[in-house]
Amino acid sequence: MTFHSTHHSLIFEKEIKEKKIDVRLMPVPRQVSSSCGTSAQFPCEKREEILKICSDLVIEFDEVHKIEKQCKGNWFSKLLNL
Amino acid sequence: MKGNKIKIILSGGLIGILAALLVKFGNPLNMGVCVACFYRDITGALGLHRAAVVQYIRPEIIGFILGAFIIALIKGEFKPRGGSSPILRFILGVFLMIGALVFLGCPLRMILRLSNGDLNALVGVVGYIVGIIIGIQFLKRGFTLGRSEKQPAISGYSMPAIAIALLIFLIVAPSFIIFSESGPGAMAAPITYSLIAGLIIGGVIQRTRLCTAGGFRDAFLIKDFHFLWGLLGIFTFSLIGNLVFNFESFKIGFEAQPIAHADFLWNFLGMILTGICAVLLGGCPLRQTILAGEGDTDAVVTILGFIVGAAFAHNFGLAASPKGVPDNGKIAVIIGLAIVLCIATAVVLQNTKQRKLLKEKKGGQVNA
Repeated sequence: MTFHSTHHSLIFEKEIKEKKIDVRLMPVPRQVSSSCGTSAQFPCEKREEILKICSDLVIEFDEVHKIEKQCKGNWFSKLLNL
Repeated sequence: MKGNKIKIILSGGLIGILAALLVKFGNPLNMGVCVACFYRDITGALGLHRAAVVQYIRPEIIGFILGAFIIALIKGEFKPRGGSSPILRFILGVFLMIGALVFLGCPLRMILRLSNGDLNALVGVVGYIVGIIIGIQFLKRGFTLGRSEKQPAISGYSMPAIAIALLIFLIVAPSFIIFSESGPGAMAAPITYSLIAGLIIGGVIQRTRLCTAGGFRDAFLIKDFHFLWGLLGIFTFSLIGNLVFNFESFKIGFEAQPIAHADFLWNFLGMILTGICAVLLGGCPLRQTILAGEGDTDAVVTILGFIVGAAFAHNFGLAASPKGVPDNGKIAVIIGLAIVLCIATAVVLQNTKQRKLLKEKKGGQVNA
């Protein structure tokens, strides 16, 4: 998940961790954007739950992407574009 | 991940080697590339300050902008955007520049100085890291300059257009453009070498997103060391490059380092100011230059801030010189720290309040 600002990613991490979901902040993957911001990684099966939390707690985010591991590096396919 | 690490180290390494080569071909010592110094030189060349020893249109800067612009265009990453607190960015840009000119170098030159044995840069690194940690505290508490919006394509072309105008001024050299006849401003690699090195570095950084502020920020904030490896690459390869190409100028110590002073306190405080500004802006001067080439008009505003900051720094006698830091410079750094902390606190307070309101409005049904 990518964000408009580093601050939003920090709020996201804090709120989601409180819900005991495994999230990890990391630099935005190169394939997604040429920006140098922060993004968050979480398990795919939690996607709906997380989107609901975001809308309930008014956490702003930019886009959600899916990480697909292939034999040579990572490929990111766009799932959702808000 | 391993391949990524090698890639970022090598891209940093390329920058380090090019910087060492630029010194060999004529750039001032330990200043193969210095984004702050080069904007200062450009400011002088345009006559916006009259410090006769630091006036030159540095082709490297033109290269950074156009290199990033061309690669972004090819890769479909040229996105005209802006409108994220332009005036705050301008002010932060002004003070970032003043901090850098008291230390005598942008964060990139800090790494390059260190790689040529200038231990004053070590003091600068510590200051820069402290500044970044202070900046991170504000990020954690809610600092954000807000999101940028899409803008008309023509606005994104403004910085590349300025770069081309500067290139024309450099080549045609009309009488209203001032070039230093002595001092650091008169020391320069041939235009083509500088321009090509700039284009390469601009392209590499557009692809890798390497950023001196981002490197330290990510290491402390999210324990991610990707960009820090790139900075290590710059340091290591610039060290090797200096030993190979500029061995006679390599010396380890504090005293009599080229274009530097040994005033610990103000090296330290100057870089704290620069570090805070860089984190709040979301990128160091080099990175801002690249973003400006990619169509980020907020970065363009930040650069205008750098230019005004550089003009103030020399017109008001704030900038340091190898003789030391003038009193005006010390006062300016203190004022800068106060203003920047005020801005950051004000933004944090307002955002916390806003968020609380939003949560109260919507949180009722969730937390019941």
